[in-house]
Amino acid sequence: MAENAVQRQTILSLRDTIARIENCSLPGIVRTAKAADAAGFRRGSEGTLHRKVLPLGIAALDDVLKGGLPLEGMMEIRNAETRDAGAAAGFVAALAVLYQQVRKEKGHLAPVLWISQALASREAGHPYAPGLRSYGLDPQRFLFVSARTVKDALWIAETALLVPVFAAVVLEIRGNPACLALSESRRLHVRARAGGVPLLLFRQAGEEEASSAFFRFQIKPAPAGERPLPDGSVLCGSIDHPAFHLLVEKSRAYAAADIFLEWNAHDRRFYPLDERRSAALQANGPENPVDPLSASAGRSHRAQPLGRLLAFARAS
Amino acid sequence: MRLVALDTLAERIGLKRGQGAAEARAMCPALDVITADPAADQAFLEGLADWCDRYTPLVALDGKDGLFLDITGCAHLHGGEKGLVSDVLSRLFSLGVEARATVSSSAGLSWAAARYGNVAVIERQEAGRVLAPLPVAALRLPEETAAALERVGLKQIGDLLEAPRAPLTRRFGSLLLLRLDQARGEADEPLSPRLPVPSFSAERRLAEPLIDEEYILELTRHLAKDVRASLERHGEGGRLFELLLFRVDGRVFRVRAHAAMPLNDADRIAALFRERLQAVHDDLDAGYGFEILRLAVLRSERFDPAQQDFSGVPEESQPLAAFIDKVAARFGPDCLMQASLAESHLPERAGGFAAVRDVAAVIGSPASEEKAFPENRPLRIFTHPELVEATAEVPDGAPRSFSWRKTQYRVARAEGPERIAAEWWIDGEDHPTRDYFRVEDQEGRRFWLFREGLYGREVAATRWFMHGVFA
Repeated sequence: MAENAVQRQTILSLRDTIARIENCSLPGIVRTAKAADAAGFRRGSEGTLHRKVLPLGIAALDDVLKGGLPLEGMMEIRNAETRDAGAAAGFVAALAVLYQQVRKEKGHLAPVLWISQALASREAGHPYAPGLRSYGLDPQRFLFVSARTVKDALWIAETALLVPVFAAVVLEIRGNPACLALSESRRLHVRARAGGVPLLLFRQAGEEEASSAFFRFQIKPAPAGERPLPDGSVLCGSIDHPAFHLLVEKSRAYAAADIFLEWNAHDRRFYPLDERRSAALQANGPENPVDPLSASAGRSHRAQPLGRLLAFARAS
Repeated sequence: MRLVALDTLAERIGLKRGQGAAEARAMCPALDVITADPAADQAFLEGLADWCDRYTPLVALDGKDGLFLDITGCAHLHGGEKGLVSDVLSRLFSLGVEARATVSSSAGLSWAAARYGNVAVIERQEAGRVLAPLPVAALRLPEETAAALERVGLKQIGDLLEAPRAPLTRRFGSLLLLRLDQARGEADEPLSPRLPVPSFSAERRLAEPLIDEEYILELTRHLAKDVRASLERHGEGGRLFELLLFRVDGRVFRVRAHAAMPLNDADRIAALFRERLQAVHDDLDAGYGFEILRLAVLRSERFDPAQQDFSGVPEESQPLAAFIDKVAARFGPDCLMQASLAESHLPERAGGFAAVRDVAAVIGSPASEEKAFPENRPLRIFTHPELVEATAEVPDGAPRSFSWRKTQYRVARAEGPERIAAEWWIDGEDHPTRDYFRVEDQEGRRFWLFREGLYGREVAATRWFMHGVFA
């Protein structure tokens, strides 16, 4: 009997540790065991294990995110090619708007910090104040740093995460630099969680790589809707709210299919692209797609091995 | 080639300034002639002036070969006037500089006595007695005036002291008597210090030179505490700090640090310099160590101390200011930027970035008046619009396809044109007009393209540019 109890305790503590590592709520059995603490003390960290989230209002995406966007910690958003940087930047900026809104509801007019590797903003363009404004970001509360090297950018990001003033910190990096590998991303993630600041790692034209982020999305461009007319029809050939094609590459929950979204800057929220159009996009994609550029010389494009991929080789 | 300057040895041989170099060599074959370098001389004099900062903050340059030090109220710190002069001279001698110095109640008298006399300290009542035997050239007169005075037999200043003033002014101009009065201390002569005098400063003189950066920072924190006391007394906080490091061999390093909000906390001031010293690490050569450290507040502002509330949540402006200062100290003040809007038609002028200098600009209340700005602007813009090759169905129409960065794009939809004329009051009359199109390619990428020039009216062949990308 005594041996049994010891084993049970070991298993419970192991489960507790795993839950902590995975940063999700405690399994029911551990929770009841903890509640029945003989001394009647409850540990302070117990309640905080429930993540604070920001629901996006899109069922498919909120399921993948287990409730919504985490309010602290690191998230990774990448795009495959430089020319898609506009769409990815739009998605990142939309998330920044959402985070800023959360802080505003609490009464803080918090600024957003956008750290960009100089090479990245030179290739994909500088953020543009009137554009940010019409997108929903207040230019007065948009701070921008152009860091010469990745190391400088990391230093600034880490410093920014230590102060709890920013609504969100965006770290824009081009490709997969060697100085931002798993251990560095882990460090940033821990810092972001300690500071209570969301860090959006925006990897421009980068490969999939193992990281500590809560999730990783790949953003692809998607054709926007057409402007609605007062009589219910649409204006043919017009371009309405920006649309995104989102692929969930890393998440805690299983993601079934691609998600199509639309950002409404006026309402400051995402809307799902209507089903008919997303089905059409999913089925056949655009007509006459442009071939992506050939893979660079150093990397072989072999067929993917069967089975579930658990860890990536370093892309840097 | 003529001789410009001589050392003591050469003067003893009998060489003179203005002598030909060949003649001088004939007199003394072993003469070592070095080409004059006025710029280097000036730099050396500036370095010496920096070094003299240790005695007084009021140091003025005097021509090419002299320095004025206003030691009012400083002499007792260095063992009286005599002690100060001997300290200056002995330290300069050990640095290998041969110098002469005189302390007196007026700049003119010091100048005259240092160059032509041999007295170290002149009391106020002795001025006339010391001045009298000196030649008239000691009055800082133009050469022709001095020569004219000598021609009429007025060789010494004593001759001028007794002479009637009116005829002297009529004959030699008003400058002569002005200089004379200045030398006697009867006319005021303001010195213009080389550098602005800091309103608050604190310094430490060390018996043992410091080399280690950690000790320097620790000492800076102590200095900041001293400065804080005087800042608090005036109800001010510093915005610009300067740390002066006097190296043993006479070199002086100045390290400046900006603060994004008025600051008087010793730890935060020390933190500013921690980043700054790391950034300038390679330029700051400690050599054999620093013997004097001084912290000066160059710019200060009104500072209202705010009481922290009990909730323990720090106020927003403080950590943000600390962040701004840290980044500015490490990467320069222009690294961290804030998006700004300007009222301009041209897209590249309408939006830009300005360096963040003040916390209030970031978390202060939003600008009251809402100006109308055009919607539908791209999220990212290229600083230099990139040339693309585009084909349009009609010359004035939207593009059908274009190639940008070696890739062909087919336009699925286009909105436009939005015609933006150049700002003639800045760019001139003949700057081409632009027609902007918002286009979407078949995969859903949205671009901002413009055609430069009105077809047939302004230019013969139009060109297309990629200016930005939409979300």
